[in-house]
Amino acid sequence: MALDGYPSASNFLADLGMEAEVTTETSARVRIPVTAEVVGADGGVRAGVLATLVDVVGGSAALRAVLPDWMATADLTVQTVRPAAGPLVEARADVVRRGRTTLVVEASVVDVPGGNGPMAGDPADPADPVVAWATMTFAVLPSRTGLPMRDVSTALPVRWSLAGAGLAGPVAESLGVVVDDGPAGRVSLPVHRYLHNSFGAVQGGVMALVAEVAALETLGAARGEPMVATGLQVAYLALGRIGPIVSRTRVLDPGTAGVGGSVVVEMVDRGADDRVTTVVNVAAAPLVPAAVGAGR
Amino acid sequence: MSDLSGGGAVDHRHVVAEYIRLERREVPPPPGVEGPSAIAGRAPVDAHLRNAAGGLRTGALLTGIDSLGGLLCGLAVQPEWIVTTSMMVTVAHLAHTGPLGLLGRIVRRGRTSVVASLDVVDEGRDRGPVASATVTCAVLDPGDMRLHFDRPLVIPMGPPAADPLGPEEFFAIAPGTGPVTRLDLVDRLRNPWGILHGGAVAVLADVAACRAVDATRGRPRPPVAAADTVLHYLRPARVGPVEARCTVLGGGSGRTLVRVAVHDVGADQRLVALGSVVVADIRPPAAVDKSRLIRLT
Repeated sequence: MALDGYPSASNFLADLGMEAEVTTETSARVRIPVTAEVVGADGGVRAGVLATLVDVVGGSAALRAVLPDWMATADLTVQTVRPAAGPLVEARADVVRRGRTTLVVEASVVDVPGGNGPMAGDPADPADPVVAWATMTFAVLPSRTGLPMRDVSTALPVRWSLAGAGLAGPVAESLGVVVDDGPAGRVSLPVHRYLHNSFGAVQGGVMALVAEVAALETLGAARGEPMVATGLQVAYLALGRIGPIVSRTRVLDPGTAGVGGSVVVEMVDRGADDRVTTVVNVAAAPLVPAAVGAGR
Repeated sequence: MSDLSGGGAVDHRHVVAEYIRLERREVPPPPGVEGPSAIAGRAPVDAHLRNAAGGLRTGALLTGIDSLGGLLCGLAVQPEWIVTTSMMVTVAHLAHTGPLGLLGRIVRRGRTSVVASLDVVDEGRDRGPVASATVTCAVLDPGDMRLHFDRPLVIPMGPPAADPLGPEEFFAIAPGTGPVTRLDLVDRLRNPWGILHGGAVAVLADVAACRAVDATRGRPRPPVAAADTVLHYLRPARVGPVEARCTVLGGGSGRTLVRVAVHDVGADQRLVALGSVVVADIRPPAAVDKSRLIRLT
């Protein structure tokens, strides 16, 4: 992190218990403990929480490549291959391209089955099982003087951790997500500092998580069975600053018995003239072991 | 069929899109309304382009999405032009009657990038949803190469070819099995900038991912088809041959996730595209429960 004071100890990211290592100029890893508050119906970490993890690790990997400029996430994808059961889940990211206006990052997400100690004494093990794969595009923003930048250490690796109080309940409830109409996939989210990113708007991973909630509500109601998100394709169009953020949901495919479905969710900032801030395509599968991808 | 010889007056703006017979029609905003045009497209599901489920192969579908989305973004920034930088596609159904209808609109116009959202429906199945896509393009200064279009742009659907090439043959994809699949960068696959067309990369990713999954299976092997796809176009492929190198990451319940890295072998093995493909097992068709169909308007 290079913005002075961000994220604070009272930020959502801190309550996930993040621990991070910027390993090289263009790579990083970030891990969180797998707790009851962050898992979905299959016992694995929710795709929206993985999106949050991936967004942070991508930004951490990209930071030194982009300085003295700054960046904003333009798109993010997460595809899962099996439930992330922990006890730790870790995202490992590498910058694959630094262009003039964009930067692309790839991340693999692994279960760390034996992980329970500090990251410093626990180097990345390539044998850790992959649970998801992710990509991100960051838009490069020209440096400006308004951002309270902190000096970035050139001595690597750099490690940091965020020790918040922990989530008070299931992650969606802790964020303040309200399900207004489950079958219609309509949920809402008030905007408050707890959810802020470095721009003072709703964090990108949170947007993905809220869209996941909306998609699973509508698919679950249509099918009469619990569903698990297996893929998120997220396009960030504008910042969600004012709120409330509300979802507009359209089912692409409800799926059939034993086969998943897919949903398009638009996240709208009601306080900003219903501006569409984010579009999320959600693929989901019924509760079966090791599911992946959308139903056909 | 377009001229495939590489000689003569080949219009590189359209060769790949014409292979899938993509009709393109600009939809200007209503009189008095400010804003960029939308775009409509239409593509048949020709027999030589059908997948194992009977629908349009996802590589061909992505070629249409890339061509239409790129054209839409390009028209929005004229006289500048664009290059596609990423494509995210969710495929709802792999079995189609056809023709497929495509509708695209600009959802963000920034200083250096443009984002388009596209929906694909099956006109032969009561306009049921087929796919939803986001295409992101970077704005380019075209320099001396100004592209001219008569507006509003209309490019009609071409006639069916008498003896069409299959996609592997048209896209010069070498026969083979296993995790690495190679494409020969022939001239007809280059876009107006002289680099490999994004649609060709998508077809290569489709073929390569399916071959990679197929190679992990015992016999009898179930038929498979590419579905949800993410592609990041990182750098231009100019030299060739171009290789898609796949890593099967895992999955279950008839879905397998494959990482696809595309390299320009002749340009020092440069990584030119990176993405993922969900490869789906094709199951025998079940009776359609029409009460579950949702109309996409």
